[in-house]
Amino acid sequence: MNPKWAVWLGGVLLAAVIAAALYFPALRRQVNKAKDLTEKTAEQARRELLPVAPVSTGDPMVKVKMFWGSRGQEGELLPVIVELPLSRDPVLRAKQVLNTLLAGPVDSESRTLPPDAALLAFYILPDGTGIADFSDEIRTSIPSGIQSEQLAVESIVRTLEDNVPQVLRLKILIHGQEADTLAGHVDLTQLFRVNAKDAAGTQLDNPSPPGSSLPAPIRKAVESVRKATKR
Amino acid sequence: MPRTGLNIVVLDPAHGGTDQGARGTEGISESDEVLQFATATKQALEAQGFQVILTREGNDNPSFDDRSARANAQRGAVFITMHIASTGLTGTARVYVEPDAPASNNITGLIPWDRAQAPFLSLSRKLGDLVQQELSKRFKGSPDTLQTAPVRQLRTTAAPAIAVEISSVSVKERAELDRMVPGVAEAIARGLADFRPTYVVPTIPVPGGSVHP
Repeated sequence: MNPKWAVWLGGVLLAAVIAAALYFPALRRQVNKAKDLTEKTAEQARRELLPVAPVSTGDPMVKVKMFWGSRGQEGELLPVIVELPLSRDPVLRAKQVLNTLLAGPVDSESRTLPPDAALLAFYILPDGTGIADFSDEIRTSIPSGIQSEQLAVESIVRTLEDNVPQVLRLKILIHGQEADTLAGHVDLTQLFRVNAKDAAGTQLDNPSPPGSSLPAPIRKAVESVRKATKR
Repeated sequence: MPRTGLNIVVLDPAHGGTDQGARGTEGISESDEVLQFATATKQALEAQGFQVILTREGNDNPSFDDRSARANAQRGAVFITMHIASTGLTGTARVYVEPDAPASNNITGLIPWDRAQAPFLSLSRKLGDLVQQELSKRFKGSPDTLQTAPVRQLRTTAAPAIAVEISSVSVKERAELDRMVPGVAEAIARGLADFRPTYVVPTIPVPGGSVHP
């Protein structure tokens, strides 16, 4: 090959390498951005399939207290005032506040529940027992640990306590099933006391391993949630 | 007469097997790290004259009930389940006990397995306070007082029982956790040594007398 051509070809190759080196970081950023976008879109699509608590424009705007994590104080909850259109119906109201809790605060560091978890169903039994059924992500995406799991349950309980007085105690289900623990630590076999008026001491009075002796009305409700989830 | 005499400490390194627990930087897994903490704590306790039983010594994962059963089968035992959180202030340690349970209306003197911890709650709190005090002396930023949480592992344990949670696997490097090992072991051993003279096996009132659990 003519040496002049060899120099020219070498120059072109060098320029191509430099251009590729300059372009590579930008390309990587674009690929990562596209990946995030795909994940978000999948999550949004899944959420769209779930029944969302209807918000009527006729519902009055109410200032509610949401309990999220405190950034300054490790392991503590902080009440945050949020203005929401809230239904007067206690079941719809519970769904609305829990969906707001799941959506999370402006400061994502203060989240208590995983962003991809969803509320699948909420019922209130005549005796004041609330049954909240969450998607699997509440178990699989939560940071594992006693403190983080305790904070998650407390944020649910205190938010309900403050905004839905009809709920006296709470049973948490995961995908329509009773679960032994949230993510390996906090006990979900029990009923959590939501309202101080619930003097019956139900919180730890009925601990039961999955599939065993829950009180009959709760057992019936759990079964109906389970059937609805299977459908 | 109430019986005294704490002889056996059941140490429970949480998780194991396919359940690795919290996972952090440098491939840190809670199940491996917590075994290291438990092994060092066992040595510190044996130096104080305690007999120590580990609920697992390798990478297996006994059930919650199997772990509790190791303590429930003993007389004069205490139970300590050890965890490392996935989040939280690094270099700190917290002690948890079960929240108050309503009084049992059991008239047989037998303790229901599901509520085995209930008669031991006040002793668990006493033990937890002593261990938390020792931990907060050694690890700045740790709470001064114990916390309550419905920890599943504690509920079925018929002995004074606490959970110790170390924060966290999200350390910058594994060495940060390794440096905590002797301090945690020493704090637990010291707390138990202080607890030993006050340990009295509780009694359950039944018609016509009382029985020991």
